[in-house]
Amino acid sequence: MELTVTKHATCTFCGCVCDDIELHSDGTRVVETKAACILGKSWFLNHDVVRHYPDALVDGQEATLGEAIEAAANYLYEADLPLVYGLSNTTCEAQRQAVTLAEMTGGIIDSHTSL
Amino acid sequence: MGGKPSCTLGEIRNRADFLIYWGGNPAECHPRHFTKYSLMPKGKFTPNGRKDRTMVLVDIRETASAKAADIFLQIRPGKDFEALTALRSIVKGKRVEESAVVETGLTMEQLNDLATRMKKAKFGVIFFGMGLSMTRGKHMNSAAAMTLAAELNAFTKFVAMPMRGHGNVTGADVVVRYHTGYPFGVNLSRGYPRFNPGEFSTVDVLVRGDNDATIIIGADPGATMPQPAIDHLASTNTIVLDPKVTHTSRLSKVHITTAATGISAPGTAYRMDEIPMTLRPPLKSPYPTDEEVLRRISEAVARKAAWYPTPEALMAAV
Ligand code: SF4
Repeated sequence: MELTVTKHATCTFCGCVCDDIELHSDGTRVVETKAACILGKSWFLNHDVVRHYPDALVDGQEATLGEAIEAAANYLYEADLPLVYGLSNTTCEAQRQAVTLAEMTGGIIDSHTSL
Repeated sequence: MGGKPSCTLGEIRNRADFLIYWGGNPAECHPRHFTKYSLMPKGKFTPNGRKDRTMVLVDIRETASAKAADIFLQIRPGKDFEALTALRSIVKGKRVEESAVVETGLTMEQLNDLATRMKKAKFGVIFFGMGLSMTRGKHMNSAAAMTLAAELNAFTKFVAMPMRGHGNVTGADVVVRYHTGYPFGVNLSRGYPRFNPGEFSTVDVLVRGDNDATIIIGADPGATMPQPAIDHLASTNTIVLDPKVTHTSRLSKVHITTAATGISAPGTAYRMDEIPMTLRPPLKSPYPTDEEVLRRISEAVARKAAWYPTPEALMAAV
């Protein structure tokens, strides 16, 4: 089996954000980590890219991505005061989009920091 | 944050000879902090590594991190603000009575010794954890730690840094700050940002039932928040973006599966010292990224009539 080696990979499990990790992956999952601590190792080993879940769920039923996006946009648009929350386990690029969405819908934006 | 006494972890690695960890357990929560950034590395001005540094741990119980410390100070739960305030007075040479500090569980002798060591350090740092910032006093405790570090700069170089957990929570602060001017709890409902923690912070908003829809990205409050907040999420329109179908997804109207940050989603994450790091995901996800889904939701909202009076609408009305 061919393994792909990713050098200088970045771990986002804790605030140390170590960027010196070496990852060996088989295309579906990471099979080996170098330099990561136990928390980082289990973080990388516990995710794979197998389709375990449906693309989307609307009212508990499987839905397409497009349907779910429309439903989400409607709920947020119809709301008097939407709340955009979380933002920890995501990228800065997504956080920027989240601010845009909060501004467009006239909502509140908040993160784990407020807990 | 204006005037925040901070620096990068690289500076600490190369220069810091006095470390205080307050209300945190890095040995178990940030396992590589000691070895990569703070206690162990041989730096430019700390050529002997561990031997050139002194470490103090302040916590309510002797955690695994205490083994690494030179001095362990056991403080009474919820008395951090009092101890920090006493230290600020001692550092400034003010008279502090023993009776004023007994409630902290620390003695005058211990506090005097700590203040002396802080002033004598060449480069000192206070790393404060959730044991400080999430217990009685909350952000006032963080402010006290930062003020103490700022005031120590009258004597030597001193900084304070929060030990952030939760992946890219530092990035959330930075990104929301550079867009709105405030780091979190920002209300944009009047078309301009208003900041008021306690009023616009999530748990308060949910418990009071102020909002009527929620979109949750990269978090699972269903597993951690107080029950009234979860009940409100379940009874209103909630949308979840997450790589897994989470506890919160199950009580939501919409769940969208997204790629996992740093594993199958590329982008940027901020380190606790506010240095942005590029992610190098090793895998390709069959799901879209949070960024893409949020952009598409914004585009769908943009196709609808704006909720606020646009210049065009105002002109048409006259
Ligand atoms: S490797 Fe360990 S210390 Fe480094 S970011 Fe990951 S969890 Fe944190």
